[in-house]
Amino acid sequence: MKNSAAMLLLSLVPMLTQQAAVAGPEDDREAFVEYFQSRFPDVAFAEFANGIYAIDEDARGQWLDIEEFPPYEFAVEQGETLWQEALPDGARLADCFGQSTGDIRPAYPRFDAGRGEVVTLAVAINDCRQTQKLPVWPYDSEELISITAYLAYAARGKPVVTQIHADEPGALAAYEEGKRFYYSKRGQLNFACSDCHVTSVGLHVRADRLSPSLGHTTHFPVYRSKLGTVISLHQRFSGCVRDVRAKPFALQSEEFRNLEYFLSYMSNGLEFNGPGARK
Amino acid sequence: MAPVRASKRGMALAVLAAVFAAAGCTTAFEQQLAEAELLRVEAAAAGAEWLQTGALLEQARDEAAGGDMDAARALVDKARFQGEAALRQAEHEASAWQNRVVQ
Ligand code: HEC
Repeated sequence: MKNSAAMLLLSLVPMLTQQAAVAGPEDDREAFVEYFQSRFPDVAFAEFANGIYAIDEDARGQWLDIEEFPPYEFAVEQGETLWQEALPDGARLADCFGQSTGDIRPAYPRFDAGRGEVVTLAVAINDCRQTQKLPVWPYDSEELISITAYLAYAARGKPVVTQIHADEPGALAAYEEGKRFYYSKRGQLNFACSDCHVTSVGLHVRADRLSPSLGHTTHFPVYRSKLGTVISLHQRFSGCVRDVRAKPFALQSEEFRNLEYFLSYMSNGLEFNGPGARK
Repeated sequence: MAPVRASKRGMALAVLAAVFAAAGCTTAFEQQLAEAELLRVEAAAAGAEWLQTGALLEQARDEAAGGDMDAARALVDKARFQGEAALRQAEHEASAWQNRVVQ
């Protein structure tokens, strides 16, 4: 009797530890939010959508000046033109998406059970091009990024509502992959995303201050004044991977799509506020 | 986990050596180059390739083609070190990342 009780206990141990390791996404998100709120107790939750401007007064002042003449306006207008434009067979890009314009951005990234992978907005737009028998746009092309700028603008004020359905094991697996990527050290400098954007958040790295990862996905694409152009979230991922001297993954690679899925889930409940403007 | 990996790598290197022997190109340099390249590919498969490794191997080939074998070997050594370090990093991170998750 004693023995079997001990056996039962022993057999429970791996189950318990396994459960602790694979905490649910909602537990993860709550812990994530709590961490940043305790690091910055004076910053309201909604403010985290503004990245570095939520925690840096000087940068915020400069940003508000910049927003008087939004540098991404041109991209939004170009995106709108492309969005309305009739395609050769008379259809429009909008016809692929059965939603009103403002609801499209918040529907991504989503896990597509049929394909067994995360589909981002950029991928969905290119899928649409393919169904129209048009060549896909490169993921760093002005056309594609402009359209995402337009759709981001149309979605301003809507909440981030990244979904992980319990009955889709693939969705949870993709989320877990993104989470693992986010917390793994990589590159010659041996840094994880979390080393900078969680542990060292608010500290200075050369001329920059490190922004919180809470809210990282809400405002993309982003106009970078340093580059004089609008860039996608995956281009920013690529830059940060390169900065730790690791070989970046391709834009819209499975790695980056899963990472986007994880980070988007972490930002649930914040508002979309793209396109953004950054240094 | 680690020993399995190591023996798999050992086997791949042995196969590689045999292929080189059969092809008649067995210079020590070519074999070192191929081994470093294999480590780079393995690191890439683990999602852990470092930024410069491919470029180091590229430069090594150029130096060898230009006849500067000392420079070529030094570059291969660096690339090999990077490939090994990247693989060690990936093996370590396979579980270590979990300690960083915000609780
Ligand atoms: C060595 C430190 C460092 C690491 C590691 C790092 N970053 Fe960054 N990251 C920065 C700096 C510096 C900036 C620019 C200032 C800022 O907004 O934080 C930045 C900016 C960003 C931004 C844009 C923020 C905005 O509001 O526009 C995102 C998104 C981002 N990083 C994601 C990541 C991801 C994902 C990883 C892991 C693959 C990562 N970073 C790893 C330093 C780092």
